[in-house]
Amino acid sequence: MHATIQKPIGEIVKHIQPNEKVFVVGCNNCAWKCYSGGDDETEMMAKRLSDRGIEVTGYTAPGPKGMSLCKLDHTRKVLMEEHEEEVKNADSFLILGCGQGVHTVIDATDGGMVHPGCDTVFGGETVSDTHIEEFCSLCGDCIIEYTGGLCPMTLCAKQLLNGPCGGAEDGHCEVDPERPCGWILIYERLKKLGRLELLDPYQPPKKNSKWSRPRSLEVSPTEATFCSIGGKVTVSNQD
Amino acid sequence: MKLTTLFEKGEFVITGEVGPIKGAIHRDKSIEPSCAIEALHLNQHVHAVNVTDNQSAVMRLGSLAASVRLKTNGIEPVYQLTCRDRNRLALQSDLLTAYSLGIDNVLLLTGDHIQLGDHKEAKPVFDLDSVQLIDMAKGLKRGYDISGSRIENYLDMAFGAVVNPNSDPLELQIMKMKKKIEAGAQFFQTQAVYDVKVFEKFIKKVEKFNCPIQVGIVILKSPQMARFMNKNVSGVHVPEELIDEIGSVAKEDRRKKSAEIAGRFVKEVKSMCQGVHIMPLGWTDVVPDILEHAQIN
Repeated sequence: MHATIQKPIGEIVKHIQPNEKVFVVGCNNCAWKCYSGGDDETEMMAKRLSDRGIEVTGYTAPGPKGMSLCKLDHTRKVLMEEHEEEVKNADSFLILGCGQGVHTVIDATDGGMVHPGCDTVFGGETVSDTHIEEFCSLCGDCIIEYTGGLCPMTLCAKQLLNGPCGGAEDGHCEVDPERPCGWILIYERLKKLGRLELLDPYQPPKKNSKWSRPRSLEVSPTEATFCSIGGKVTVSNQD
Repeated sequence: MKLTTLFEKGEFVITGEVGPIKGAIHRDKSIEPSCAIEALHLNQHVHAVNVTDNQSAVMRLGSLAASVRLKTNGIEPVYQLTCRDRNRLALQSDLLTAYSLGIDNVLLLTGDHIQLGDHKEAKPVFDLDSVQLIDMAKGLKRGYDISGSRIENYLDMAFGAVVNPNSDPLELQIMKMKKKIEAGAQFFQTQAVYDVKVFEKFIKKVEKFNCPIQVGIVILKSPQMARFMNKNVSGVHVPEELIDEIGSVAKEDRRKKSAEIAGRFVKEVKSMCQGVHIMPLGWTDVVPDILEHAQIN
């Protein structure tokens, strides 16, 4: 999931010009789970803007629950058909969702003016209803086969691939004594699994071209093609 | 001169350390930066002097410029190079530059994280880790850059690396040390150690690698400094009895005491290793005393 956190209301309001009419769009998937842009927060944002003298033409978090704002055809239908009049009357859209959602609204509204209402902070695991945690940095060059599924690009503050730095203290990271050293987590896990030999091979430098933005993915039921500055990689899911 | 030459001769290799100034070297060549003055105190007492690279992620004069100044002054530098601030292009380019400017020894490290320093909003680079850095440096020695392209006039420097004997789990630290040796590390300087037993336990596990090790010493200046290190310097532990010992003497006697404590430790461990790396944190003038207490000529 894409973890998002609302920007402070003062910051949001600062970018809305006098007499600008706003339509508020939430997301019924990730932002709903983050309490940053579900149905309730979207309705609340409309009220918070109105209370500050901003004209809100309407609001919606395209549903049902679990539906992602970043599903373009659905969002286009909801905004341009179900909310046609309110959208037409708006000068801009305030989006309570991730950066992908913001771009989806641009596409869905044929280039409408957008204001991000959230900061997109990371992609994470929904560990519980109130706790989301990052375990993957989306680097495109995965090495967790060698680390028992724990990602050093994410769990190590220095993104070291060949083992820890010398800075861990009582199992904690030198950068933040509150957080565990990612490499000690990897070590303890592999030790428990009896697979410490996985740590032996030299891990070569990352292929950063796979991490260069922007990237895209062409998908079909039988194969997918990942496109980055590093080139195109096509993989079958049938052979 | 490359430190590896000394290790090969069986010398007990002694190195000191200075941190470059926060500022530029004066254009008037008669004005020495303080780091060069500190290094002059070490002259004739050590084989070489490490020059730190934005140590603790605090922005300073480049380690290469300070290393070259030491070399000009007749002091052998160990140029420290970290992965924190440079991608693989810059690291290779700086290695070639260092060799071109006469540097014979380089210590290849990951580097302290930016959050520990004075530029907390900077982008941490860490394009490579220290093992990959050593492997890449070895390539430059063999005539290839990291992309496999041939280079002309290969560099020829001694490659040092670091290891922390205080690390827990030690096995994980040793796994990385082994990778560094396989990548091309030719000698090691350890993180500061204060406990003979800790060092002995470490040495027993790594002597099979047959790679020269210099035990790391950070001079204890005061009980406050020792407590500060325990609280803020990761991977270092100063035992309470040493904190009490340095605190047991008046301030004016602390230089003498610090040399006694460090020298006593080195004397006890010197037979287990191939050298000592003394980090005096500015007190370079006590280094001769340490060596005397350690009974090292």
